[in-house]
Amino acid sequence: MTNWKHIAGGVVALAVLGAGGWAYAKLNTARSAVADDRVALADVKNPEPAAIARGEYVMRTGDCVACHTAGKGPFAGGHEIATPFGTLLSSNITPDRRTGIGAMTEREFFDAMRHGQGSKGFLYPAMPYTAYAKLTDQDMHDLWAYMATVEPVENPVNENGGMRFPFNVRLAMAGWNLLFFDNSGFEETAGQSPQWQRGKYLVDGGTHCSVCHSPRNLLGAEVASRYLQGGNLGFWYAPDLTGNPHAGQGKTPAESLVEYLKTGGKTSLASGPMAEAVEHSFQYLTDADLRAIAVYLKTLPASGVTRPAPLPAESPAMQRGALRYEVNCSACHGVAGEGMGNVAPAFAGNPALQSDDATNPIHLMLVGGRAAATHDKPTGAGMPSFAWKMDDRQIAETLDYIRNTWGNAARPVDPAEVARLRERLGAGKNLPAN
Amino acid sequence: MNRRKAIFSLGTLAASWVAVPGLLAKELHKVPSETRMNEDHLPKPAGRQGYRVLTDEIARKNLAAVFDRLIPADEWGPSASEAGCIEFIDNELAGDYGSGAALYLSGPFDPDNEKKMMGGPQFISSPRERYLTGLKALETWARNTWNSSFHTLSDSRIDEFLTNMEAGKIDLGKEIDSRALFELMLQNAREGYLADPIHGGNKNMAGWKMIGFPGARYDYRLYIERRNENLNLVPVSLIPGD
Repeated sequence: MTNWKHIAGGVVALAVLGAGGWAYAKLNTARSAVADDRVALADVKNPEPAAIARGEYVMRTGDCVACHTAGKGPFAGGHEIATPFGTLLSSNITPDRRTGIGAMTEREFFDAMRHGQGSKGFLYPAMPYTAYAKLTDQDMHDLWAYMATVEPVENPVNENGGMRFPFNVRLAMAGWNLLFFDNSGFEETAGQSPQWQRGKYLVDGGTHCSVCHSPRNLLGAEVASRYLQGGNLGFWYAPDLTGNPHAGQGKTPAESLVEYLKTGGKTSLASGPMAEAVEHSFQYLTDADLRAIAVYLKTLPASGVTRPAPLPAESPAMQRGALRYEVNCSACHGVAGEGMGNVAPAFAGNPALQSDDATNPIHLMLVGGRAAATHDKPTGAGMPSFAWKMDDRQIAETLDYIRNTWGNAARPVDPAEVARLRERLGAGKNLPAN
Repeated sequence: MNRRKAIFSLGTLAASWVAVPGLLAKELHKVPSETRMNEDHLPKPAGRQGYRVLTDEIARKNLAAVFDRLIPADEWGPSASEAGCIEFIDNELAGDYGSGAALYLSGPFDPDNEKKMMGGPQFISSPRERYLTGLKALETWARNTWNSSFHTLSDSRIDEFLTNMEAGKIDLGKEIDSRALFELMLQNAREGYLADPIHGGNKNMAGWKMIGFPGARYDYRLYIERRNENLNLVPVSLIPGD
């Protein structure tokens, strides 16, 4: 009870910070004044077909449909985003006048998308306006034209109704924006090719890679100095995309990156949230754009991660891991970790497997997973769960073997990490060995 | 909560709000993307809650006496009961096997007629009942014949009894087909000795080590080209203990 005053004080403090005059640059939406501020989305008539087509493409790069859909129809919102402070719901972005964004003007749409200021107040940064700020006026205008063609769905959503005080106070987000939001648009980098510029534009804007792939500081903002060097999402780890040869993409040819984004991959397969990004977004992008993304990513300076000495193969734990690998994993992942093209990822030399953060392999061992199912590779091969047959130590040992054999090298996995994720994923205990 | 804490907790909020969408790829054609196991998928390991059917200690000792003459301890491995075959059959009898869930157990029942029709003895009683009445009859037989409990009989007397039982020469009463009971116990002793340890028997994979069976392995590509060679494969159980 005594905390209420302090909590309220904290919110007010944040609000005051947000409203302060020096916040002008962070909250200023002037550059979006290019957009029309009179016609509501529901009243937009016959947008230009070419603009609609381009706008659908922009929607695909941003993958709006994935988060704004939850059973009530495309874009009708209601998708739950669990946070430690309550549950956020994605908003209804169909042109429904009452429950969607039908009453918004193009200018208001720009303000929400690029500046995080929506019709109900400040948006929560679960909506990646931090990245969409980079979208060009043209792309925004095309997206607007596309959104006008979406079927209106009446579905009232109380986006922050499930958030606990003070996190249900939208004005508090102004403070966060003030501290961390880069409100500026996309700027070209001198001396780079148009292809590279296009790649950077897509990476930083529509496809919002850094939202997951950049680590965040204690205050939840992306750490600019570690841009795309890998980020932990709790249940998943978004790997290092820089040119680091050990845990990043330094040894991955640009063609492989393109294939990964377009089809879900061949020796390295997209799974978890990245599978969804490939399924709903990247597979729809043009080869030229995917190529541009790859070209840009390939120029990212390597992160500082270094290759540790591999764990010695002869230790009893590694021997147990070897037997367990042979018995449980080798049929699909290969006796030499070579994988099975398009179906089971290779382990030998796989950088994503060797990062310091072992969340992904632990996650996949515990509850399994499914590779991206795409137009080119529709199989969506499944990885089974091993939570029922291996305890935490056995999973850690198996991963130590995989991460330290065939030329791989990574720090040992602590069984306590497996235990924590097992608990959080609700993976259940392993069956007793008789 | 002071201002610093408020900002900090907002930061934690930001750190945790990477939205993970739940929309299925249309290419998946409604195949669920989750591959985790639920209870129905999983094997049910033999419990450790104590005996559930063979609750009578004498009956248990008598069955162990039979099992251990069928598979005695020797230089090749432990006896059937040492390898957990009593725990194994108790667990089986407590479940669907014991209740005869897969068997037709209703009348009409004319033993001779149905034996002829089916080419072997037929039963209305479940395996659980057959064990319980059979073990009781075993004890009665030993009391009547040797005035002692069955499990205290010497190996040679038990061997003689089992030999006669297998030949159909033992009368355990009208209700019991003693040869069929012998076959049932022999079959279950083998099963307990060789089934995956998850089912309660084959402790430490003793049965598999005895016959050189490599256990629940998935893939033999590493070995398929190696002919006429003892591969010395370590057996692996479904739920490994090491």
